[in-house]
Amino acid sequence: MNAVPLSSMTQVLPEIVLAIGGMALLMFGAYRDRVDNAVCVLSVLLLAAAGVTVTIIPNGNVFGTSFILDDYARFLKILAYLGSAFAIVMSLNYQTLEKQRTFEYPILILLSTVGMGMLISAGDLIALYLGLELMSLALYVVAASNRDSLQSTEAGLKYFVLGALSSGMLLYGCSLIYGFTGNVSFNGIAKASSQGGLGLIFGLVFLFAGFCFKVSAVPFHMWTPDVYEGAPTPVTAFFAAAPKIAAMAIFARATISAFPGITHQWQQIVVFVSIASMALGAFAAIGQTNIKRLMAYSSIGHMGFALVGLAAGTPEGVQGVLVYMSIYLAMTVGTFAVILSMRRSEGMVEKISDLSGLSRSNPGLAFFLALLLFSLAGIPPLAGFFAKYYVFLGAMKAGLYGLAVIGVLASVVGAYYYLLIVKIMYFDEPAKDFNPVPGELKAVLGVAGLFNLLYFVYPAPLIGAAGIAAKSLF
Amino acid sequence: MILPALFFYLFAGVCVASAFMVIAAKNPVHSVLYLILAFVNASGLFVLMGAEFLAMILIVVYVGAVAVLFLFVVMMLDVDFAELRQGVLQYLPVGVLVGVVFLAELLLVAGAWVIAPGMPQAISAPTPSTMTNTEALGRVLYTQYVYYFQAAGLVLLVAMIGAIVLTLRHNPKAKRQNISDQVARTKETAMEVVQVKSGQGI
Amino acid sequence: MTFAELWTGYLWPLIVIVAESLLLLVLLLVSIAYVLLADRKIWAAVQMRRGPNVVGPFGLLQSFADLLKFVLKANKGVFLLAPLVTCTLALGAWAVIPVNAGWMIADINVGVLYIFAISSLMVYGIIMAGWASNSKYAFLSAVRSAAQMVSYEVSIGFVIICVLLCAGSLKLSVIVAAQDTRFGMFGWYWLPLLPMFVVFYVSALAETNRPPFDLVEAESELVAGFMVEYGSSPYMMFMLGEYVAIATMCAMGTILFLGGWLPPFQVAPFTWVPGVIWFVLKALFMFFLFAMAKAVVPRYRYDQLMRLGWKVFLPLSLAMVVIVAAVLQFGGLAPKG
Repeated sequence: MNAVPLSSMTQVLPEIVLAIGGMALLMFGAYRDRVDNAVCVLSVLLLAAAGVTVTIIPNGNVFGTSFILDDYARFLKILAYLGSAFAIVMSLNYQTLEKQRTFEYPILILLSTVGMGMLISAGDLIALYLGLELMSLALYVVAASNRDSLQSTEAGLKYFVLGALSSGMLLYGCSLIYGFTGNVSFNGIAKASSQGGLGLIFGLVFLFAGFCFKVSAVPFHMWTPDVYEGAPTPVTAFFAAAPKIAAMAIFARATISAFPGITHQWQQIVVFVSIASMALGAFAAIGQTNIKRLMAYSSIGHMGFALVGLAAGTPEGVQGVLVYMSIYLAMTVGTFAVILSMRRSEGMVEKISDLSGLSRSNPGLAFFLALLLFSLAGIPPLAGFFAKYYVFLGAMKAGLYGLAVIGVLASVVGAYYYLLIVKIMYFDEPAKDFNPVPGELKAVLGVAGLFNLLYFVYPAPLIGAAGIAAKSLF
Repeated sequence: MILPALFFYLFAGVCVASAFMVIAAKNPVHSVLYLILAFVNASGLFVLMGAEFLAMILIVVYVGAVAVLFLFVVMMLDVDFAELRQGVLQYLPVGVLVGVVFLAELLLVAGAWVIAPGMPQAISAPTPSTMTNTEALGRVLYTQYVYYFQAAGLVLLVAMIGAIVLTLRHNPKAKRQNISDQVARTKETAMEVVQVKSGQGI
Repeated sequence: MTFAELWTGYLWPLIVIVAESLLLLVLLLVSIAYVLLADRKIWAAVQMRRGPNVVGPFGLLQSFADLLKFVLKANKGVFLLAPLVTCTLALGAWAVIPVNAGWMIADINVGVLYIFAISSLMVYGIIMAGWASNSKYAFLSAVRSAAQMVSYEVSIGFVIICVLLCAGSLKLSVIVAAQDTRFGMFGWYWLPLLPMFVVFYVSALAETNRPPFDLVEAESELVAGFMVEYGSSPYMMFMLGEYVAIATMCAMGTILFLGGWLPPFQVAPFTWVPGVIWFVLKALFMFFLFAMAKAVVPRYRYDQLMRLGWKVFLPLSLAMVVIVAAVLQFGGLAPKG
């Protein structure tokens, strides 16, 4: 066995930049007297640097096939970096006002992002597990980061215990798969899996249980509403975007590249999970009064829609997943920018009724929220419609007509509660005014809102990039 | 061949027995002590396999560090385990049922067990006789598996940061010793010679 | 299997091992008796006292008198297990210590780790004693000791790693052999790894709960710490275990830093003296350092102890591991594996 020369590690550069940068920032933060925005700003710059690096370095595999950098990984990594960067930016004002500023928060997000990068690029089960743990461990901590709040602590603990359980199942699945195929690398499993076998499917089920937990798909979604509600809002905004992208990325990569031999079997599971998630997301959200809980159910539903594309198991389907995740990122980030703006002089408010009459007290905010909600509901010509269009198209092409029809029905039901909020904002009596929206939230909201509004004008770059990325997986 | 077999049954037997005692012992501190015994016997089994490095690391890490912390916590907590066990009988039937179902499933899986073609060779690939197994481990750990090694390091770093973030509270009232300040004091900064006239004070 | 095979295959080696172990034990225990005496004498000398001088000429039989007293003055469970654990573990470490080229009971591949493992187990004796005594002084002492010993083990671990990097093996005999250079005693690792030698010495004091780190038994606050409830034979076993552990640390320092059984220079008058004498002399020198620390340094406060371990020794020894590894790698000095 020869040592891996440093020069062959170009492909890992983004992760190295983030990890070493994160550690340097840790020292910087620890030896600094004041606590201010410097660490946050530097973290965002680091994420930008990593994003630039990942676009310019060539494709290739490092450490055997443990770490794969292909177009697929590149696409999703940029999305994940964007999600993390938005999460840090959106936390600036909140942390100052709630007096929760700790310099570790952006650093934990950075390290979590390293885990996401490793997860997206994972080419074998060990790298997958390590990436997943790195990502999740940081998430557990930030969920409990408001340690004086009972809810936040409960959210962190709940997430941790259930997360550990899901990791256990994932590991059990990995060990079964390794036991029955004699391989940990996806390529090797793919070769061995062509014969199928009961044991392998057992392993696959446990592996999927772990993945479903991380993307919060039914039946492993139970943690989502409680954690979303309990965690500090900027943390929820982070949870809703970047980790979901990374988890979905590895879900698709592992499924497509490791189990082509038993496509029929995993397709059944994914179809079930997808239908159950869409249905639960649509129906359970209706009765919610807390907007963060509502977003939790909404995200469960959206993961169901994204899995429709994966169920197809074709390049078109995966392309649909990628487009869906990109647009989902924009919608979620925008919506959370609004939720973070729901602040009165006495503090943050989270009730949906607090939004009533927003169109009169703050027409700009109301307009953007309405726009984002229409997009989340999938109403043309907003971006959310195209997201759903591409996954359903992929499913239809693969012959999954039933799934597509159920998906459309679920999105009709889902539209009800999104529109209900719009109704509350535009037709109900105004509640007390919110405080003025801070600049960085305005910027995030503007970017996200305009993306959703104007996406249909020039969709080609995203569709094209997603197409190239999806092809590299097959 | 008698001696190794004898030792194997000794270590394995004590290991299983003490593992049972971990859950059966009334006193939690005794439980942890049995756990330690189980660890020590497991490392004995490693020695029998010729994996002396793993055996020693098991002792240093698990017995010497992890179990000490267990013991530490168990002693401090003063949990009444007898009280916790009150409901055991009540839940026993359900537990047994779940266990039986799980066992049946495992047997089903094991029934379908096919050993992959490359496995026997991979398992029996011997450690090169020219090096100790410590060296052999080091050679693969820092070359082939360096990525996993570094990744695991990052996971531990996050765990450490997390523990500090969630538990460290700065107490502004706490007075801390600053040794470099103390050392940097000189005669000029620390002492003042005052001429006190008698009957006047300072 | 015939009796002859059984004899040559198992019984004779068994007898040899038992005989070797007994010999080592007897020698070790007698030395411990005198080391204990030396400790009291050195301390007394520093304080201008005479120390024990009643039993035997110059008090030379004092330790045996103590032994007799403890045995004659003779509870249950964990309470009795604790001193047994302490004593057995301390003696067990000596199975791998080479006192001369080839003079050891077992030359195992991971000798250093074995000793390290044993010394990390020593904390159990104290914790068990402290807990089983059911007294708050003893318990406080157990809690202190757990934190203290675990903390200083970390830096001892890094010290060992530095030495291993230089020697290229975990075998104690190879580590000694690697110090056999043409520079004589200046080639032993105490000079090239001087900072590590200092860290090792101080950490060894803390690891064995010797003054100035004897917070575990701090008589002014905890009466006598974990030993407060013990008397007679169990107490003796604690004392024995403690001093054997100190002897082990001295032997370990000798092997890691002072060239084990090697003579200071490989020239005539030095090479006449047998290796075991050199070993004993060096170990005694180490012990003298231990005893002097007890006599001249005041006891640390607990926060100072923790600060030293985690904020000074840990970064220092970590940095040294990196520096040593870099120098060996880029200086082309790394041992060929």
